[in-house]
Amino acid sequence: MTEDLNTVSEDDLHAYVDGFVTPRERERIEQWLESNPARAEEVRQWQAQAVDLRALFAGYAHSDTNDRALLSKSRNDLPQSDPDKGKRSATGRLRAIAAGLALFAAGALTGLYAPSLISADGGNQSIETADSLPRQAQSAFLVYASEVRHAVEVGADEQSHLATWLGKRLEHPLSIPDLSSLGFSLVGGRLLPVNGKAGAMFMYEDGTGRRLTVLLGRNDDNRETSFRIDSVDGVETFYWIDGPIGYAVTGEVPRSLLQQVADECYRQFDKSEAKGS
Amino acid sequence: MSQSRNGGNADAGAENPASDRFEEDVLALVPALRRYARSLVRSDPDGEDLLQDCVEKVLSRRAQWRGVNLRAWAFTIMTNLGRNRHRYLSMHPQVALEEDLGLEAENRESDPLERSKLERALNGLSSENRSVLMLVVIEGYRYQDVAEMMAIPIGTVMSRLSRARRQLAEAMKDDNVISMRRPK
Repeated sequence: MTEDLNTVSEDDLHAYVDGFVTPRERERIEQWLESNPARAEEVRQWQAQAVDLRALFAGYAHSDTNDRALLSKSRNDLPQSDPDKGKRSATGRLRAIAAGLALFAAGALTGLYAPSLISADGGNQSIETADSLPRQAQSAFLVYASEVRHAVEVGADEQSHLATWLGKRLEHPLSIPDLSSLGFSLVGGRLLPVNGKAGAMFMYEDGTGRRLTVLLGRNDDNRETSFRIDSVDGVETFYWIDGPIGYAVTGEVPRSLLQQVADECYRQFDKSEAKGS
Repeated sequence: MSQSRNGGNADAGAENPASDRFEEDVLALVPALRRYARSLVRSDPDGEDLLQDCVEKVLSRRAQWRGVNLRAWAFTIMTNLGRNRHRYLSMHPQVALEEDLGLEAENRESDPLERSKLERALNGLSSENRSVLMLVVIEGYRYQDVAEMMAIPIGTVMSRLSRARRQLAEAMKDDNVISMRRPK
């Protein structure tokens, strides 16, 4: 912030409203506001807003007799069973139902449940498949990243089982990428239809709850592509096809970070591939 | 003597004192977390849902807590959960239903019309702008704290705060809400 006594910046005005200024600055800003009635009106609105907002939510900052149950519930509930499911609000249940529906709808749109429609196109199939991979990855991300309880079918504590199970369903030996060097740990995984066949999804999470998904699906026409990027509403997907498998890494994180994740996944999948064959 | 093992929690015994203290600290934060949760969502049940998700996450991730400022860490987790939820709900139409349920369930002293107008205006904010506004105005965090909690530059905090305030003021000014004349 400048030393110029005659200049009051936008930041200064916010700091004034939020009470983060020294008495001297306060005085200076108030003087300035006197000669800038339009800004003064705006500041008055912001102050009124703050009062109204505090009033609106003040009543919620209370403890509740059930708070302790909240703790024990959480502890006993993790990672997978949820005996208290019935106590959840309508949203929780609706979300779980909507998750299934949305995924079904997403599948229907991309042709998961009507493969014959796509096959009828003959030559277009491979294009269709490559294009729909990022879209399927985004649908899966949007549906499952917001799930707290049902984000995954098999948790990270059963990692080797997860790899074996999904590898078998995918008909492709599978090792689960370790993204801990980038601050993301495995939440778990689930079986998911991709291109009308069994696919696998892994979910990762960082220490603050940001999530990423890695989706793998069969791609039977056996070709290769370089990395491609697809972005919808801030949800970024890096995807590539390597032989029989298509890969997609999706997250709502900066593109540069997601690219590092994609690089890391590629490197690790590639290595396990080499070892396997 | 062989004890019944069907409790399943026997393994928690060893580190009880430390984890108890942690849980007590979390418990002490619950009121503030409840308020912040409610300030990010559209209805009371949604707020309680978010609170529960957050407490769960805080407890299950306690190994990742670096040991300083539990409150800020919990608020960061809540911010991310709120954003996930916002993104999810914005794609699914049951939101309208939830909103109605919430308003119906509430019974407060302030003018319900003004209240619902303010809530509606808030619901028009993006999740990012809303979080910044709430952290600053309601929770009293300094700009630098918010920048650290959300892992964004302080300039971004300021521009989000600015956008949130302007958009809110604009929405509150809008008179396309039918105003009811009070009998006098």
